[in-house]
Amino acid sequence: MESAALTVTPLAGGADELRALARSRPLLLVFAHRDCPTSALALRHLRAAGSAEPELVIVAEEPPQEAARLMLRAGLRAPVLAQEAPFAASSELGVEAVPTAVLLDPGGAERERLVGWDRAGYERLLGVPLPADGPDRKPGCGSRAVEPPQAGGLDEPEDMFERGFTDGLPVVPPTPERVDAMLAGRDPDRSLGRVPPSHGEATLSRVAACAVLAGCRPEYFPAVLAAVEAVLEPSFNAHGIGVTTQPAGVVAIVNGPARERLGLNSGMGALGPGSRPNLTIGRALRLVLTLTGGARPGGLDRSTLASPLRVGLCLAEAEERSPWEPLHVERGMAAEQSAVTVLAADAPLSVSDHRSRSPEELADVLAQAAGATWSPYWWPMDDETLIVLCPEHVDTFAAGGWSKQRVRHAIFDAACRPAASLRRGEATEHVYAAADDEPVHKWTDPGRILLMVAGGEAGRYSAVFGPCDGMGTSAITREITWTT
Amino acid sequence: MDYVSPFDDRAREVHALAGRPAALEGRRVALLDITKARGDEFLDRVEALLRSRGAQTFRIAKEAFSRPASTDVIEEVAIHGDLAVEGLAD
Repeated sequence: MESAALTVTPLAGGADELRALARSRPLLLVFAHRDCPTSALALRHLRAAGSAEPELVIVAEEPPQEAARLMLRAGLRAPVLAQEAPFAASSELGVEAVPTAVLLDPGGAERERLVGWDRAGYERLLGVPLPADGPDRKPGCGSRAVEPPQAGGLDEPEDMFERGFTDGLPVVPPTPERVDAMLAGRDPDRSLGRVPPSHGEATLSRVAACAVLAGCRPEYFPAVLAAVEAVLEPSFNAHGIGVTTQPAGVVAIVNGPARERLGLNSGMGALGPGSRPNLTIGRALRLVLTLTGGARPGGLDRSTLASPLRVGLCLAEAEERSPWEPLHVERGMAAEQSAVTVLAADAPLSVSDHRSRSPEELADVLAQAAGATWSPYWWPMDDETLIVLCPEHVDTFAAGGWSKQRVRHAIFDAACRPAASLRRGEATEHVYAAADDEPVHKWTDPGRILLMVAGGEAGRYSAVFGPCDGMGTSAITREITWTT
Repeated sequence: MDYVSPFDDRAREVHALAGRPAALEGRRVALLDITKARGDEFLDRVEALLRSRGAQTFRIAKEAFSRPASTDVIEEVAIHGDLAVEGLAD
């Protein structure tokens, strides 16, 4: 296998094969393995060896993939031979500890040997100075030829990072047992479709692996599946959301009986930390997009700043705290159905308002906050904005007898300015073409405003999730089904 | 230790990059506008430079910048163009 300038070659034979490599030039063979801190110390220092003669060749007592990781972890670019059990070359050369350096003459005769870390010895053999940090000498560890690897020696969390099975946070390793538990009898090869931008096939086993990695319990998996199905709808435009320079996060909103069944938080701190299903379902969805779909930050994901929302977010609606029909019912589901609605959005903007006493005032405050989202002079937007109303704000609307539709229209009407006041910076062609006093709304249509209820009982803080303008993305709602 | 990979690890067919042309004289160059703001200005400049070097140019646009080009657009570039320039991003 190859990674950048790193080439790992399996070592099929024993000592004769190593001696043959030294036929025309001197070689410094360094035996090492990844469970040995002294090996790691030596390999890190040997980065300074460069193209010195004798040529440096690492003999890793590891399979090729582990040998590559050993080198990547040390940041050392040198030829690597991957030697697997029964470690014939180590045995035949009498290598009982690692690191061991064996200097071979042209022709393959051994001239000198160092056991353990010995900075001055390596400097003498290589003829170059090595970094002065760390100890001058350090004893090594048992060679795999005399001391087979112990079970449990693997640092699993680090192993996950090295495999790239992460969004940057530690993960739960997706062992076959954990993935099977997540699948709960579902067909692992069934596909939900190809995930843009790399078009990785979202088989249930890969989605389950992402759910395990994210820390989901198996009972959350139906919600993860529904969310993945939703983002794979073409009108969600997972391609654009995945590769854009926008911050573009995905919000997953759960409605219906699933909220209680999964223990989702719709109350205090619903947008933040503290609740395992909220955090892990959203994260699992993001991992499917990032790992299976290939939207890797800094790779195909070109988000300029991104936002914490891009790690993933799931929340439930506080339906019992709302005087109105819940979001999923508005979107065509029955109240007793469980559903997840996914929406591409900017990070939430908190709106504090502890002073409004009338629905009109409060609608205006929310409208002015929403007016600043995406870009303050970009009116009208043809994309969806999510407003999460906290219970105390909802009470203000309910006390005035306002319907959800009336709230939506009041916010729409209050976010309206004359075209002339919007001609600055990033402004639309619409406002440049309009007469100076022509009223322009923030949205093309009141239907672009999605309203839901969540949050703690105390505190008048609602939140506005601005849109991913220009992405041509739409919120998608999918039923959560419990059958396998 | 075995793990279930979240990646689609299937080997993909690797296509070699086409060779760089020695000259532009008489070549047909597709100028693909992804329809982002001011992409047309960039392509106007590129088009003038290409024509000054003897290339023939034609313009074509994606339906939406946030989505992959349609098969029709890709086919038109492939059928009518020897070379393509894409005006990407803002």
